[in-house]
Amino acid sequence: MLVMRRRAGESLLVGENIEIQVLQVSGARVKLGINAPASVVIVRREVQITQNENRTAARSVNPGAIESLLNALPALAAPTPEPEKCQDFDESHNLGLS
Amino acid sequence: MPSIRTKCFQEIDITDSSLFHFPCGLPGFEQERYFVFLNRPDSHPLMFMQSAHTPELCFVLLPVFTVAPRYRLALDEEALTGLQLPLTAQPKIGQDVLCAVIVCAQGNGEPPTVNLLAPVVVNLHDRIGLQVIQTQSGYSHRHPLVAQEELVPCS
Repeated sequence: MLVMRRRAGESLLVGENIEIQVLQVSGARVKLGINAPASVVIVRREVQITQNENRTAARSVNPGAIESLLNALPALAAPTPEPEKCQDFDESHNLGLS
Repeated sequence: MPSIRTKCFQEIDITDSSLFHFPCGLPGFEQERYFVFLNRPDSHPLMFMQSAHTPELCFVLLPVFTVAPRYRLALDEEALTGLQLPLTAQPKIGQDVLCAVIVCAQGNGEPPTVNLLAPVVVNLHDRIGLQVIQTQSGYSHRHPLVAQEELVPCS
């Protein structure tokens, strides 16, 4: 990894069109300003991690996976008394509200 | 009564009061603004978060305390505002908000994980939802769902 020291007000260039400027440093936080073409997608790293994780999670949902999940969770899935209305599927839409 | 097609169940009837609004969608699914939460006794404690618009899109979730009994939710001002919650105090899980984590069932022999880094938080009173990324929390986005330690039989 390329390591570079910069102070507030200084900037660096990535390629021809992307400029990243250090706007402010206070304590553990750094405020950055980024100039880049609109076509360049800029996201926080943790947002990208969550995007990827959500896509993988959505793909993983299928009847077989749900069954193995329930089998893998005997402790969590242990039968607990269900409120009467949870027996009726139509009544159980509002989790937490019921 | 309008009905929607679901991925894991049959077509179901919904009312306005069963729809939850996610003004920002979810990361990776920014266009998905409305979800319905479903649960069934035979799949307890799993919850199904079904897109109201895309029948093929459904997430499996678990209430966060089922997975991490001491889970700490720390919402910043932006998240509190987005959820239309008071800025003065953190919401109580189960009382003010539903807090659940998305399960990645993996498959292919991979163990299932949950995303503790980014729980789905829902304002129960106004039915507004947000997936909150808890950057400073140190929680993992791939927390193993089943404890890694083998159980030792009593003897």
